[in-house]
Amino acid sequence: MLSRIADSLFWIGRYMERADNTARILDVNYHMLLEQPPDTYKLRWDPLIAVTGERARFYKLHEEASAQTAFDFLGFSEENPNSISQCIVNARENARTIRDRISRELWEDINSLYIKVRRLGDNNESLSRFCESVKRGGHRFHGVCDATLARDEGWHFVQAGCVLERAEMTARILDVHYHQLLEGPQILNEARSHLWMAVLKSVAAFEFYKRQYSQIEPTKVAELLLLDARHPRSVRFNMAALQSSLYAISGSVPGSYANEAERLTGKIHERLAYDSIEEIFDSGLHNFLTELQHSCRSIGEQITRAYFHYAVVA
Amino acid sequence: MHPSDKSKDQLLFTGYDPGTFYDELIGPNGEPRPFAAAMYEKLASMPLEVFEERRKLADLSYLVQGITFTVYSDGRGTERLFPFDLCPRIIPHSEWDLIERGLAQRVTALNLFLQDIYGQQRVLKDNVVPRNLVFSCKHFRREMVGLSVPRDIYVHISGIDLVRDSRSGQYLVLEDNARSPSGISYVLENRLVMRKTFPRAFEVVEVMPVDHYPAELAQILRSISPRTGDRPVIVLLTPGLYNSAYFEHCFLAQEMGIELVEGRDLVVVDDVVYMKTIRGLTRVDVIYRRVDDDFLDPLAFRTDSLVGVPGLLNAYRAGNIALANAVGTGVADDKAIYAYVPDFIKYYLGEDPILHNVQTYLCSKPDHLSYVLDHLSELVVKAVGESGGYGMLMGPSADKKTIEDFRARLLADPRNYIAQPVIPLSRVPSFDEATGAMSPRHVDLRPYCLYDGQKVTIVPGGLTRVALQRGSLVVNSSQGGGSKDTWVLRGDE
Repeated sequence: MLSRIADSLFWIGRYMERADNTARILDVNYHMLLEQPPDTYKLRWDPLIAVTGERARFYKLHEEASAQTAFDFLGFSEENPNSISQCIVNARENARTIRDRISRELWEDINSLYIKVRRLGDNNESLSRFCESVKRGGHRFHGVCDATLARDEGWHFVQAGCVLERAEMTARILDVHYHQLLEGPQILNEARSHLWMAVLKSVAAFEFYKRQYSQIEPTKVAELLLLDARHPRSVRFNMAALQSSLYAISGSVPGSYANEAERLTGKIHERLAYDSIEEIFDSGLHNFLTELQHSCRSIGEQITRAYFHYAVVA
Repeated sequence: MHPSDKSKDQLLFTGYDPGTFYDELIGPNGEPRPFAAAMYEKLASMPLEVFEERRKLADLSYLVQGITFTVYSDGRGTERLFPFDLCPRIIPHSEWDLIERGLAQRVTALNLFLQDIYGQQRVLKDNVVPRNLVFSCKHFRREMVGLSVPRDIYVHISGIDLVRDSRSGQYLVLEDNARSPSGISYVLENRLVMRKTFPRAFEVVEVMPVDHYPAELAQILRSISPRTGDRPVIVLLTPGLYNSAYFEHCFLAQEMGIELVEGRDLVVVDDVVYMKTIRGLTRVDVIYRRVDDDFLDPLAFRTDSLVGVPGLLNAYRAGNIALANAVGTGVADDKAIYAYVPDFIKYYLGEDPILHNVQTYLCSKPDHLSYVLDHLSELVVKAVGESGGYGMLMGPSADKKTIEDFRARLLADPRNYIAQPVIPLSRVPSFDEATGAMSPRHVDLRPYCLYDGQKVTIVPGGLTRVALQRGSLVVNSSQGGGSKDTWVLRGDE
């Protein structure tokens, strides 16, 4: 497989996942805040911008984080390279350059989503309907990939892009909300559990959590989102998936590694598999999450180095 | 008629007038030609709402597939559909048979001509084609003289533009495209969409299939591999996403199951071409290139080319890579050389041309030039090395200033121009949104010919381009042109 094509497949996965995650956190936050007193309301849009890692850019464009400015910025802004519509534009652009290498169904699906999102943007659609469309688009994307792509190395590059992005996003969501909830300004106690519920809902883990734990407790939420081996949005689950895709591409066997990306992935996965949530809290959750996000970035760079990048051949 | 005048019982062919031009589907008496009767009945009895619904369905299908070209005027890149008209152009079998034989003859001769001028140059020594005309051609490649190409094939893929002259009813060759003609993907997609939109029509009308084109092309590409072995590595070289034919490049690569590459994906090491893969370098044997000669190799041709592959021409000369089409085929579709095609058909094949040329004035000949200068407002003037409607004067519709501008250009560089009378193109019923009914529109036809060194294969039909604006003779997509599905029938009725 051409390096350029593998690169595009990887980024289709990342951009689609990024759009989906952004829509989720935007949507859940919006609905949750509808039921909150106005002063907390104001506070709650800023962390959302922080989750996407685009705070500096946001405050250059807007004075205040409100439902409207956050929606504009995260939903449609062309100034924000990680806005939902830009992610979909980029995913589609990548798909377009390699449409000969993906199924017709997958191309048409990504292209339809692109057309739809543009139309929704032009029609000033409501936030929740917009997010709903994007989330459905994300689900369809996975479904169409699953049902129409051959399980060759191309598939594994798409998967690697998706799961790496999702792991990083989950870590980031947890990090920002945890920080805000425990160390930020005063928030009513009863509001806290609502906020934690919102976090769980934003990663589609609320129902699963309720079955496991019943009570909303911050440590338990963190445990599920970090260490659970079964939920498809936990960091551990995604690291395991990343590891098996990287192995499938290189042919490495478990316990070994063929490149730096595999080594880093294996290392994180081991920690998530054997650390307990108490140990993680003892040494500081924030530090742990910072390190995790840093590792995700390194893994991305190392995948690029191993497969996409060619030094000039003399 | 104004749209609001549409009466409830108006049908698509109500008031249809074929007029004085040759109509491909409707006879002069207003009755459908016998071979078109079945489809005519279908359309003529279809309520307008149903037809509109199917049009929407067809448009949506192109939109979802992203078969669009991009207009950048509004800053964010609006993608427009290449308009597709639902009324097919229908060709009875016996007529197609003649076209097919004529094209096979022409394509064979074009190949022999190229083989000759890059080889022994007999055609020049025997004064069939003027030496100066060939050597002064912008697309003549000196580097190719004396070089043999795999299986002696120069033009593997060609698109020959045909028109039907309304006066004689004869098909004429308007232009040869021997470099990298595009449009075949529309032929295949149009058929797909027609089958989706009018599935029942294909039950009653016996239309010859077109979808074997990619397999035929792949077979030819495999056959020219310089390496023996049963699985040569074949790639399609594209200039990239921003090329207007990019959709087609993707489409063909996918249909043939070959890799679609850009210049930056390839590298030449010791005169061997490789592609950069996730497992290292992989040797490439055959390149179906959709990049012009000029941009193919910055070391050999234009040094500013960003889409080419440095060193490719050396690899080609060393015989380590096959290219389709060969380098230097542009000399065969030079519009001045075109005038000599009938002569060299006779010279190489000893046959009379089956398809005739449009009468052509070569401005390099003094007597032709003076005639052209005297009749500029009646003629079509074309620059010899251009294609796609560029560098063209449409005399009858041009203003005085444009005509004078061309007069100066002709005088300054007569070799660079030819002129032809305006051909009254035949027409096909096409849907007119303004009236909500069928109305005749001018068409041309580009069949796609594949040459394997022995025989010419042509998928039945080709791309019918249609000038959707009333009265217009210009079928180019940039000027309001669209396309139609082309049906070659199994029989004559």
